[in-house]
Amino acid sequence: MLGHDGSFGYIKAVELAASSSIIHKRTGYLLCSACLAPSHEFRFMLVNQMQRDLSSSSILEICASLIAVTSIITGDMVPAMQSLVLKMLDHNSEIVRKKAIIAMHRFHQLAPESVEKQELVEKLRKVICDRDPSVMGSSLNVIESMAAVDPKPFKELVASLISILKQIIEHRLPTDFEYHRVPAPWIQMKIIRILAALGKNDSNASNGMYEILGETMKKADVGINAGYAVVYECVRTITCIYPNSTLLDAAADAISRFIQSKSQNLKYFGVTGLAAIVESHPQYAEAHQMSVIECLEDRDETLQRRTLDLLYKMTNPVNVQFITGKLLDFLRGTTDSFLKEDLTTKVCSLAERYAPNNLYVETITELFAISGEFVSQEVSQQLMTLIAEGAGEDEDADADTILRQHSVTIYADLLEKPIAKLPQLLIETMAWVLGEYAYLSADYTLEEILNKLCELVRKGKQLKESTRKIIVTSIMKLVAQAGTCPPQAAKIIDDFSKSKNQDLQQRCIEFQNLITCAPHMLGEVLPVDASCEDIQVDPDLSFMDAYVSQAIANGAKQYENLDDDDDDDDYDLTGSAKASVFKMTPYAKPTAPGASYTSSSMGGVGSNSPHIAGTGGAPPSGSYNHSQHNGITSANTTAPANEPQLNVRNVANVWGKKPANLPTSTPIAPEPGNFSAPVPAPVPSNNWSTTTSSYSTQQTSQPPSESVKTEEQLRKERMAAALFGGSAPSNAPGIARRRAPRTTVAAPVAPTLAPVQAAPTGPAPVVLPPTHPAPAPAPVVDLLDFMDDSTPIQTSAALDVDVLAPSPIEPAPVADPIHEEPAVPTKPDDPFAASGLFDGFSDAPLSSLQADSTFEHNGQSLVPLTITTAQFGEKWGSVPHASPISTPSSKCTTLDSFMDVCKSVGLYNIEAIPATNEGICGGMVGGTELVLIHGKISGSGISTKVDVTIKSTDATLGRCLAMYMQNLIR
Amino acid sequence: MISFILMVNKQGQTRCSKYYQWLPMEERVALESEIIRKCLSRSELQCSFLEYRGYKTIYRRYASLFFIIGTKPDIDAAQVGGENKENELGLLEFIHNLVETMDKWAGSICELDIMYQLEEVHFILDEMVMNGYIVETCKGATLKAIDLLERESRKGEAMFK
Repeated sequence: MLGHDGSFGYIKAVELAASSSIIHKRTGYLLCSACLAPSHEFRFMLVNQMQRDLSSSSILEICASLIAVTSIITGDMVPAMQSLVLKMLDHNSEIVRKKAIIAMHRFHQLAPESVEKQELVEKLRKVICDRDPSVMGSSLNVIESMAAVDPKPFKELVASLISILKQIIEHRLPTDFEYHRVPAPWIQMKIIRILAALGKNDSNASNGMYEILGETMKKADVGINAGYAVVYECVRTITCIYPNSTLLDAAADAISRFIQSKSQNLKYFGVTGLAAIVESHPQYAEAHQMSVIECLEDRDETLQRRTLDLLYKMTNPVNVQFITGKLLDFLRGTTDSFLKEDLTTKVCSLAERYAPNNLYVETITELFAISGEFVSQEVSQQLMTLIAEGAGEDEDADADTILRQHSVTIYADLLEKPIAKLPQLLIETMAWVLGEYAYLSADYTLEEILNKLCELVRKGKQLKESTRKIIVTSIMKLVAQAGTCPPQAAKIIDDFSKSKNQDLQQRCIEFQNLITCAPHMLGEVLPVDASCEDIQVDPDLSFMDAYVSQAIANGAKQYENLDDDDDDDDYDLTGSAKASVFKMTPYAKPTAPGASYTSSSMGGVGSNSPHIAGTGGAPPSGSYNHSQHNGITSANTTAPANEPQLNVRNVANVWGKKPANLPTSTPIAPEPGNFSAPVPAPVPSNNWSTTTSSYSTQQTSQPPSESVKTEEQLRKERMAAALFGGSAPSNAPGIARRRAPRTTVAAPVAPTLAPVQAAPTGPAPVVLPPTHPAPAPAPVVDLLDFMDDSTPIQTSAALDVDVLAPSPIEPAPVADPIHEEPAVPTKPDDPFAASGLFDGFSDAPLSSLQADSTFEHNGQSLVPLTITTAQFGEKWGSVPHASPISTPSSKCTTLDSFMDVCKSVGLYNIEAIPATNEGICGGMVGGTELVLIHGKISGSGISTKVDVTIKSTDATLGRCLAMYMQNLIR
Repeated sequence: MISFILMVNKQGQTRCSKYYQWLPMEERVALESEIIRKCLSRSELQCSFLEYRGYKTIYRRYASLFFIIGTKPDIDAAQVGGENKENELGLLEFIHNLVETMDKWAGSICELDIMYQLEEVHFILDEMVMNGYIVETCKGATLKAIDLLERESRKGEAMFK
């Protein structure tokens, strides 16, 4: 009361309820129901009074009591009141009847055990046929509430409900029930809602409703809010009951009018209505792409949230990346814990249902970071299981490795961040993944990771005991894998062997003993990647046989089996357990990260490579991306239409429309205009939303040159395309969980890679001779004289072969010869003339003698890779490692000078685009490692800045080259 | 179902509050002040619905007075994981219906009427909404009950005075 505690007056309120004046009585009850907490003892004092009032002869006192009953009574009091209220259902005043039925429902809510459901249903059947519309109306509330839980007992009411609704819309009710000339809109809404509950999954019941629903919708559409509310209710019911196409079309029509309306309220209805309809009928979303995008960006938070809800409902494997991205964005921006919790569960369920494995790992990790407190333990367990077991299909061992590698990359990067901000669950997951699979990391060595983990434990005073345990175990695993125990690790294990936590202490001491007494056993006790192997116990102890027989031969006594000998049992158990864990054969060495990555990443998760790259790099400005995506798209479209083997780029299409409906056979050579594009794809950290959009825009967006739309519109369209990618009827949204998209893609992509890899090994010797006439490379390399003089020649040979390679191994010849033509880009007779080797090398030493010389990596020099722009574009996406550099430059103030630098490094200048000041170059090291470079010059004079993105199949190569180039450019 | 109905003025003072689900007093105060703050921060161009602490909230402004209805999933349905099925626009119109009813009752309703005849406003609400469900939307029927009540009380006064 006015901010003060008014509890001293409660007793007066109770007294007031006993007053003989009806106003006083009502006020007393009112005060009690507003102020008395459910546990308050005064509530019991009122039971007697309520009973007395219920038996009163005055309607008003009965009403006062009935109203009080709904808010004052608690579960224990129900039996005391029930019979009295039940009698009131037959009272001859409608004011009493309509209250009594609500009170009965309240009893049912409070004490379902004491109110017979059957009896209540019987009463309801009677009440709904009451001659007074108000009583009927209030009984609808009860029916609705109960039917939502169990519709069965009410099924037979469908006919009567329909006839009631019919009478209402025919204006048969007293005019007093009309609200702005809409007849009893709330009763209509309620009946329609009950119909939805009753007609759900029941075609029989639904059949009867179609006509009345259509009619109601038509009649309600009178252009005022109350009418719209009824229409909206019809829409919801139509989407809920057994589908009828005519009605669905009508509903979709209503939704589209809502969503395009100027009124925010109706727009809100449009979005929620759409959410209701897309769940089962995704095709209707198509038409409203732009409106949805606009709603998503609306300043009104309510509308945004509803739109997110809509997105959640229309998620399919195609747009999952975009949508989870949006949800995460929103999650990041909100402080409302209710919303956070809600979004977290949504993201979890989406990621689990639809996301491909890599994305799943990424999403969940992100989720941990943003709202770790709401993520349940199970999610992290599930994540680890997924990483450990892979997808569960044997033939996909490669994909599993990539997945693990990818997760290791993510988690290794996490190590760099301050741990104070990470939730415990994430740290635990991270420690486990690194402990198991750190050897897969491309960027860090085992020791580096080991050191970082040690650091983590040492600094992490605030870590929970359980978390620390997991980290220490991970350290042990890593020590076992690395084969050496660095001093920090030893120290930590030593520290924890005095830990108060027994389990941890035991682990540490065991480990110490192992490492001192039997270091060779370490690898077997803590095997690599065996987290999901079953431990098979060998109860016969067969591995002891030799030892036993020897002992017997030496005169030992035969062992007599004593069933009750517990000590022996213990010993046996431990022994045998070990035996099964031990693997006597050495584990297959993990494939060298670089090599495996090349092959598998291209083959499997091409579409994911951008994020791999992106996780490390700083995100560039959004506009930069946007301006270029168009180009990718167009460059993209040219490729896949023509020939199967260029599909590498098409991987991206998992997120977009299938390329089937692309314009047929555009020539492979793209116009220069298109071309600014291939490059930026790798970057952004929120990359998946943007890249996705770019890839799937194929349909909507046009090359920038032709475009007359504003940038803003284009961006929205792109978002829309990303969003509605999968909702077209052609792509059934029901594709199984996670795995589906990836496997389908992997198949077509694999062959493309073959030429690149096979080249050096296969036909190399055959084509070797032609390399001799090109002596130029050798002297250039000699200038630097890094390591090995002989290698350059070899590599260049190998590389030249590679340039040629695509033709011999080309899969195209098998197919249509016409298709082959574009597949192998204009390949002149003389490879060197074409590749520009000649001019490249004759120029280089002369023009830039200073320090410029071709770049070498691992003793093998970088040689030009002669490819066309289109090939560049298609390779760009599949090359996993990106090393962006951005540096002010005094040397490269023009595009030409930049291209010269590239040439001098040993790259082939694929194309320079003066219009945008961009250039692309390609090179190859050792015949297998690709290097692709995109550079952009901005500014002029002293403020010139050069942004270069180096993509390479080998991470270290990329980084080295990046540093090397940075020096040259600066 | 409806969890609460509030009438709050532009200064954030609650003129009338009615809760259909029990909330401790402190929470009520916090909830009221936060919701009105949210309502005030929204412009005419935004929709009349907002989500707050899991409540789907519908508000409508009449001069300086906000009518706010908060809804939650139905108690029965919530047990089986049901969503909040309330029709926002329907409730928005219900607010208007309430105001029209009060208008008819007080001639032309204003904030002062609500302040000084608070119990009557509650009685009207009691007629229209029970246990969180809309039971009466017919103005005549609502006012008839109120009229009966007033006449009855006047009779009592006459007897004693």
